[in-house]
Amino acid sequence: MRRPGAGKRRERGLSRLVQVGFAVFLLAAWYVATTWGEVSHLLLPNPVNVWHQLVSILASGEFVPDLRVTLGELAIAFAIAMSLGITLGYLISRSPYAIKVFEPLFSGIFSIPIILFLPLYVLFFGLGPASKIALGATIGFFPIVLNTIAGFGNVDRVLIAAARSMGAGNLQMFRHVLMPAALPVILAGLRMGFTVALLTIIGSETIASLSGLGHRIVNLAENMDMARMFAYIAFVVVIAAFLNAVVSAVEARGRR
Amino acid sequence: MMMPPADPIVQVRHVSHQFGDEGETRHVQALQDTSLDVARGELLCLIGPSGCGKSTLLNVMGGLVAPTTGTVTVAGKPVRGPMPHDISFIFQEHALFPWNTVFENVVLGMTFQGVPRAQREERARRALEAVGLSEFAAHYPGELSGGMRQRAALARALSLETDILLMDEPFGALDEQTRMVLGEDLSVLLSQSHKTIVFVTHSLGEAVFLADRVAVFSARPGTIKEVIAVEEPHPRKPDFMTSPKFHRLRDELYSLLHGEIRKAMAETPQPRRRYGEPAPADTTGTAQ
Amino acid sequence: MSRAPSEVSAVRAPRDTVSAWTRLRRWFLRHPGVARLGVILILLVIWEIAARFYVDPNYLSPPSTVVFAFDDVLATNGVPDALGVTFYELAVSFALAVVAGVAIGLPVGLSRFAHRSFMPIILLLYGTPQVTILPIFVLLFGIGPASKIAFGISHGVFPVIILVAAGVQNIKPIYLVSARSMGANRWRILRHVIFPHMIPSFFTSMRLAMTAVLLGVLLAELYVSTAGIGYFTSVFTQDFNPTKLIGLVAILAAMAIVLNEAVRRAELHYGRWRA
Repeated sequence: MRRPGAGKRRERGLSRLVQVGFAVFLLAAWYVATTWGEVSHLLLPNPVNVWHQLVSILASGEFVPDLRVTLGELAIAFAIAMSLGITLGYLISRSPYAIKVFEPLFSGIFSIPIILFLPLYVLFFGLGPASKIALGATIGFFPIVLNTIAGFGNVDRVLIAAARSMGAGNLQMFRHVLMPAALPVILAGLRMGFTVALLTIIGSETIASLSGLGHRIVNLAENMDMARMFAYIAFVVVIAAFLNAVVSAVEARGRR
Repeated sequence: MMMPPADPIVQVRHVSHQFGDEGETRHVQALQDTSLDVARGELLCLIGPSGCGKSTLLNVMGGLVAPTTGTVTVAGKPVRGPMPHDISFIFQEHALFPWNTVFENVVLGMTFQGVPRAQREERARRALEAVGLSEFAAHYPGELSGGMRQRAALARALSLETDILLMDEPFGALDEQTRMVLGEDLSVLLSQSHKTIVFVTHSLGEAVFLADRVAVFSARPGTIKEVIAVEEPHPRKPDFMTSPKFHRLRDELYSLLHGEIRKAMAETPQPRRRYGEPAPADTTGTAQ
Repeated sequence: MSRAPSEVSAVRAPRDTVSAWTRLRRWFLRHPGVARLGVILILLVIWEIAARFYVDPNYLSPPSTVVFAFDDVLATNGVPDALGVTFYELAVSFALAVVAGVAIGLPVGLSRFAHRSFMPIILLLYGTPQVTILPIFVLLFGIGPASKIAFGISHGVFPVIILVAAGVQNIKPIYLVSARSMGANRWRILRHVIFPHMIPSFFTSMRLAMTAVLLGVLLAELYVSTAGIGYFTSVFTQDFNPTKLIGLVAILAAMAIVLNEAVRRAELHYGRWRA
């Protein structure tokens, strides 16, 4: 008679094998196609070349100026979105009527692809970082304000009544009741705002920019420097994954 | 009907309260011309069918809700808002802050009330010891059973050292056995501390076991139908519950309530309330 | 019942003596949508004043000018075609994304092994910033509609796969047990239990897919500045023509809103039992 957990464990091991096998297969196919196959180097570079380019980029530090531009844009955009979003969200959450008026407005606007407004921002702010910051801040604002409204608006009313009955003043109420209660939801909003601002900024750099990582990738594509472009793409994907992991970890800690 | 007490600490005069405006679908007359005196040091129970306004009256007494008409005086002062130095509350949903430990919750209550920092921790320790929760001071409310959570809420209220305790169905969410034990503990507490307690409950047995007097409410719109005296000294032993006096009082309560309960059950269901409005029967401290 | 004035803390006036102002205020409070329109109007007024008196007309146009310039925008040579092509790209991407999503999502959801093996891969791909490979799409598929459609599908397929698989996966076992106890075979269960159960998730996934497809197609369009909408946004920007630019963006935004709304309505209608 088999042990009860064995079937499940075997299945889990097998699916892990499938995943690894899948990744290996893709890598192998890529290598074979570009080394011995007919695939043009102008379309798909050899993975070995890509690897060498990546190493060289990292070693020489040439990625630093572009990375600094992109991360700088992200930092400022997020700071703006966070301060505006939380402040406005808190103020609106104080009145159920205000919530009914503004919340649908904000969700409605957020459902449009805000990247559409990029040309307007470029016209107004130019091709430099300012337009990316402005657009990133605009799009990051919405999940933050919506979640802040939800967080503060849904605080258990019994808790508020209890604090009031014990004599809590407005500042005490905010610090000891509203803020801790709303924190998990607000942190989730901040994470969403961060993620969406990052994507929008990279996208904006791809479309209309003179600097930054997105611009670098486009530049390399136009020069048909495929191996290096792929290297940069890999680099950006890893950076984005890393930043998202950090932000998710912060959110998870706040939910402790 | 008995004579009102000579030296009342709480005086309720002609309090009426309605939610919503007349003519609107969500209008509800929760209380109608209710008057009541609470004697110093007594445990007064408010009992009545669902929606009769007993919780509303408690909130009005405690200053959490301003009544549409009527006045409340506590210790000689008119009630115009929460009075944290005179009154502390215990709610049915324990209202402990889930992100703080039990100890932090008790300390926070004193922070709100304005107790000097130096005294807070010591008073918290004493209060937790009085309810038997010293071992669990560092636990979070989510880690405790329902009975222990209510003990913690009681500790928080006790640490505030108010003369008056208002309790809104504090044992409502607990199982029968826990209720009995906590009821006995409350009785012991009352005999030791001479606090005035106003206690809202659904349970007839609980009312007779705990109260010095029981105020019986009519169905909505609620008003006090009759006040019954239970003349039995505190602390009350469990064997009081099997005495003939207990049964007689319980039967008396039941006959007073019976018709009102049927009347309340026949009420048409309330229309769905919109966001932000208090449910007409939801009176656990919803006003802000 | 008589009471001394000093004992009365608050008395509400009977209804007929309530002033018209109070009645108006109460009506306002009951209709937040009106207040919302008011907020939008105020914003439009601020825009108008700012654009007219404070901002260089090379950078911003007031709404009044933009509104009257719509036919101008549409009269610009090539704009209606570009808009039409964009709409076509959106429709085709959406349709193909949904079909592909269901084609992949159903089998992945139905087999627990496939779900466990492939879902992590799918989620990983879903989480990567696809905008980084936008230039590759264009290199591969050219500057015509093909790359836009491909990029749109690449965005839209993921929510469909994930939600359809979830809709199949999280069916309560009790439903399956109950059906089997009544004698249903595998095919019947698929058709009468699993499929209807999955429908609301499917429509929700369509709403998310539409948002994703809009993002993908519009990103690609804006990137390609030599043809399509991207060409005109480029030209209007370089010519410092905010009026036409705002007008064009507004038309595209309206397109997005209409498409989103259509899918949302479908979701509400077909997902009704889930409510």
